Amino acid sequence: MSDSNPNSPADPTPAHSREQPEPHEEQNFPSLLLLFLCSLLIFGSALYLQRYSGGFDPLVYNEEVQGRGGPAGGATAAVDPVAAGKKLYALNCVTCHQATGAGLPGTYPPLAGSDWVNGNEDAIVRILIHGLSGPVTVNGVTYNSAAMPAFGPLGSNWKDEKIAYVLTYIRQEWGNQSPEVTKETVARIRAATADRAKAWAAAELAEFHPAK
Amino acid sequence: MSSADSSFVASLKPGTPETAEPALLSEIDASTRAPVFFFLCSALFWLLLGTVFALIASIKLHNPAFLGQAEWLTFGNIRTAHLNSVVYGWATNAAFAVAFWIMARLSRTKLRHVGVLGIAAAFWNLGVAIGIGGILRGDSTSIEWLEFPAYATPLLFVAYALVGVWAIVAFRFRAPGHVYVSQWYILAALFWFPWLYSIAQIMLVFAPARGAVQPLVNWWFAHNVLGLWFTPIGLASIYYFLPKVLGKPIHSYYLSALGFWSLALFYNWAGVHHLIGGPEPAWVITAGIVASLLMVIPVVTTGINHHLTMIGSFGRLKDSPTLRFMVFGGMSYTLVSLIGSAMAVRSFNELSHFTHFTVAHAHHGLYAFFTMVMFGAIYYMMPRLTGREWPSATLISVHFWACALGITLYVVGLSLGGLIQGWEMIATTTDPKTQEVTLQVPLFLDIVKHTIPYLVSRSLAGILMTIGHLSFAVSFVWMLLQPRAVAGVQPTRLSPVSAVLPASRA
Repeated sequence: MSDSNPNSPADPTPAHSREQPEPHEEQNFPSLLLLFLCSLLIFGSALYLQRYSGGFDPLVYNEEVQGRGGPAGGATAAVDPVAAGKKLYALNCVTCHQATGAGLPGTYPPLAGSDWVNGNEDAIVRILIHGLSGPVTVNGVTYNSAAMPAFGPLGSNWKDEKIAYVLTYIRQEWGNQSPEVTKETVARIRAATADRAKAWAAAELAEFHPAK
Repeated sequence: MSSADSSFVASLKPGTPETAEPALLSEIDASTRAPVFFFLCSALFWLLLGTVFALIASIKLHNPAFLGQAEWLTFGNIRTAHLNSVVYGWATNAAFAVAFWIMARLSRTKLRHVGVLGIAAAFWNLGVAIGIGGILRGDSTSIEWLEFPAYATPLLFVAYALVGVWAIVAFRFRAPGHVYVSQWYILAALFWFPWLYSIAQIMLVFAPARGAVQPLVNWWFAHNVLGLWFTPIGLASIYYFLPKVLGKPIHSYYLSALGFWSLALFYNWAGVHHLIGGPEPAWVITAGIVASLLMVIPVVTTGINHHLTMIGSFGRLKDSPTLRFMVFGGMSYTLVSLIGSAMAVRSFNELSHFTHFTVAHAHHGLYAFFTMVMFGAIYYMMPRLTGREWPSATLISVHFWACALGITLYVVGLSLGGLIQGWEMIATTTDPKTQEVTLQVPLFLDIVKHTIPYLVSRSLAGILMTIGHLSFAVSFVWMLLQPRAVAGVQPTRLSPVSAVLPASRA
């Protein structure tokens, strides 16, 4: 900006000379009604926050849920063992035992209609935890070419409820109609076989699965 | 200061305490003059350029073939260039100018070593220019509100650091006495913005956070740029210029304090409401909604404080350009903020999210509130910076009415269009026999077609605002070409002031 006038730029301009004084505030106290309404709003917002915060759980994404295991039923309470087991089956078992549960004739034994699966749960829980190797006879047919891997501490180290879910699934799918395997059952058997460090042989499980 | 009722002649009398103030203020203004003027000129430049970008983008939405051959003018480029030139070019430059000018005055201290600010202003505008060029080349980061390519932003940060430090230095060496509410807002904003900008830049561009944290940081930043940078500067201006023009004090210190601290407390969370329905934990979203609702407290408190200050003086809107823009901006602030709180409620958000309603709301805030307030401030500052009066009341009048009508048409038209668009996207009908649920408007393309009349109204509004900006620019340049005003000259008013009014001062 060129400045051609003789005055110093710091001289008051006409605008400065007619200017009102610098601003300040009066000390009027705000209306109590306003403060009351503000407090009411804060109170109401706190109720809303409490009601729709999913228990401040980082894994709750639905504001209607009160938190996992909370009074309105959280994620854990809502787990359907068959549905959860189906997912586990699809990820871990389907390669050998097939989506139909029929296995592969001569190589992998079937689960659908299997006398082991629908028999005493003590046998199959042990097989899941520690695995199975050697010959096994299912529905009168002997399979001897593959080993069942362990899902307990020797293998994938699944928790009790995962083992319970997948066993419940195979006992209630493809026409199987056996009762649920609970995680308490798995925990009991896990404790009873805690010393074991290798896979089972079918013969060792004979007490739970009398050969037919 | 008890001079509110003293006459104009008395204030000119040499040697009285009354003259001390104009002399001191003019010395202070002289010290801030070069950088403030630099910021204002660059703000005006980016405003005009941003307006051109805006018009092109708006026309492309209802007439896609418009300039369709130019690769660097595709909608994605031009809309982004518009946003960044008005936010970082126009609004931030204007905010720097106004914040410095007010801060130095209220601190009653002359600004020293203003060369540093000159460097800051040059860096800032260079950074914005490189950023806009980068966006038009196709280098946008595609992160909303942070689209400047990474090679432009460090320059901006350095410039901002210089600006911030200098304003804080001015505040640090203030004259003893009461710290006025405008100073609280400016000081806070100068801390908030670099904090927001640097964290967002690091967590999104230089070392990006993963997954669901990214949108959180993005909206924390983008919404807080409005709430913790432009809003405080806008409110600081209203708090300064309202009593300054009227010559009467702000109604209540307590309301000022309540408004300031509740804004500081609640605003930071509010941006999360942009992610309602998104993949974020429920409590984060709900906290954002609650903060947005609680924003009613600072907004209503500040609105009441301004209103009770204005009451009895609304007649001054007829003559004072500054007051007219300020009051328009202040009332828009109340309205846009209350609408914003409503938009954060889940049931309303379902309707308004991902529609033109949000676009209307953004312009309502940044234009009807912030930009209008900045215009008002500039009308007050320029005669004191240049020693010249505004050349034409008609041009100021055209500026005000074109912008006021333009933004009103913009907000009303696009909000209505947005609501219709939102309703059509979610409205369903249930067949009474089969219980089958179907969309009332099954074809998305039909919904798009139904928005066209509202998009055209937006372009018309844009033309109106362009007229306003052009008359402002003509006024601005014409003013600089005039000779300096002589003592006792009357300010440029929009209408003659009646002699009964004590306010023969602008």
